[in-house]
Amino acid sequence: MKFQPLLNTLLLFIVLVSSCPAAVQEPIHIQSIQAGFVQEKHLKILARPLVSTGTFTFQAPGSLRWEYKTPVASVLLMYGGRIRKFVERDGQLVEDKGLGLDSMQVVLGQISSWLDGRFTDNDIFRVSEVDEHTVLLTPKDQALAGLISKIELKLADHKGILDGVIIYEGPESYTSMIFQNPVLNQDISAAVFTEK
Amino acid sequence: MKQFLYLSAFLFCLVSCTTGPYSPLPELTAGTDGPFEENCATVFPQGKWQFSHAIDFVMGSKTGTPVIGVTSLDGKDIFCALVTVEGLTLFEANFHPNGGMDVKRAIPPFDSANFAAGLREDLRAIFEPPAGSMKAGRVGTMPVCRYIDEGVGIVDVLPDVDGCWQIKSYTPELKMNRSIIGQSCKKKGPSLIPDYLELKTYGQTGYTLKMTLITADNIK
Repeated sequence: MKFQPLLNTLLLFIVLVSSCPAAVQEPIHIQSIQAGFVQEKHLKILARPLVSTGTFTFQAPGSLRWEYKTPVASVLLMYGGRIRKFVERDGQLVEDKGLGLDSMQVVLGQISSWLDGRFTDNDIFRVSEVDEHTVLLTPKDQALAGLISKIELKLADHKGILDGVIIYEGPESYTSMIFQNPVLNQDISAAVFTEK
Repeated sequence: MKQFLYLSAFLFCLVSCTTGPYSPLPELTAGTDGPFEENCATVFPQGKWQFSHAIDFVMGSKTGTPVIGVTSLDGKDIFCALVTVEGLTLFEANFHPNGGMDVKRAIPPFDSANFAAGLREDLRAIFEPPAGSMKAGRVGTMPVCRYIDEGVGIVDVLPDVDGCWQIKSYTPELKMNRSIIGQSCKKKGPSLIPDYLELKTYGQTGYTLKMTLITADNIK
């Protein structure tokens, strides 16, 4: 039952790269970033994709709030080395105690290097530049490769910020995330990372 | 992690829920003064549909991590995918009317044959008219379409309970083993689509699926 830690790793990775200056741009120092996102899940059989929306907030060195608002509310919080996840149940957000957290804490240790703009191969992914606006990540880990075949990062024209991410499970199954309205380097209250 | 293990455990037991306290099959009285058959037909979507539900799995006092279930009907096959809120596909399969299935993706613990078979039975119970000969009548004052599949079981379809519908399945020994309760139905074409479904199986390994409708698209 190893997919949940891998999923957590992937989620955190997305946060990291979305807050990371793009490889082709002059690095800018990211102290914090807030953005909305629209996630579309595509499967061959689906006439219409599954659409989810949410927001994320990241503050260096390791505070994160990743929140889905629709269609199923959930909140992942990281603060002070503690990681918690809340899910919607009977109309209320309740803590999901079963979350596999170990790998997340390991990956949290990499945050500083991502924020420093070291956007190169790492323990999890092999990184290659497809063109000026696309970076391709392929999993090194066989277990992760069984879940995700590749990830495409779509780089914005300016600010060194990501426009979006496409996560491919296979040729006919992928999840796209488009980031919207990024706000950089604002002061963020600790409560954002501690309160559901 | 534990939630998924609970889910796996109870899904592993899906086909063996044969003991425990059951409700007996109620007596069906004559009373076919209404368009029972037509009303019962509205319970099962006709044509091509795509549904998505937020699904909570409950077994005993344990509740699993919610997932999104996608069901696509083409009038023949049932396609199903289970996807995490974060978008990862946990399970994807095509179920054929002859009982066959093509499992395209199954991440442990969703990779057992018992899981796929149990999921198929739950989906067929929700979306497909029961097999067998049909008798119309009433249980108390409730109109009922009773489907009798000799040696397999009996299914009562109640097309009008508080503005929505219910389905109750019984073993060949005439004891209830599954109930499906629809709530807040909305009429879409000829079909009555519930905003909320609760599927329960009974017995020592009984479980509950709480399914909140996200989308219901009649594909033209």
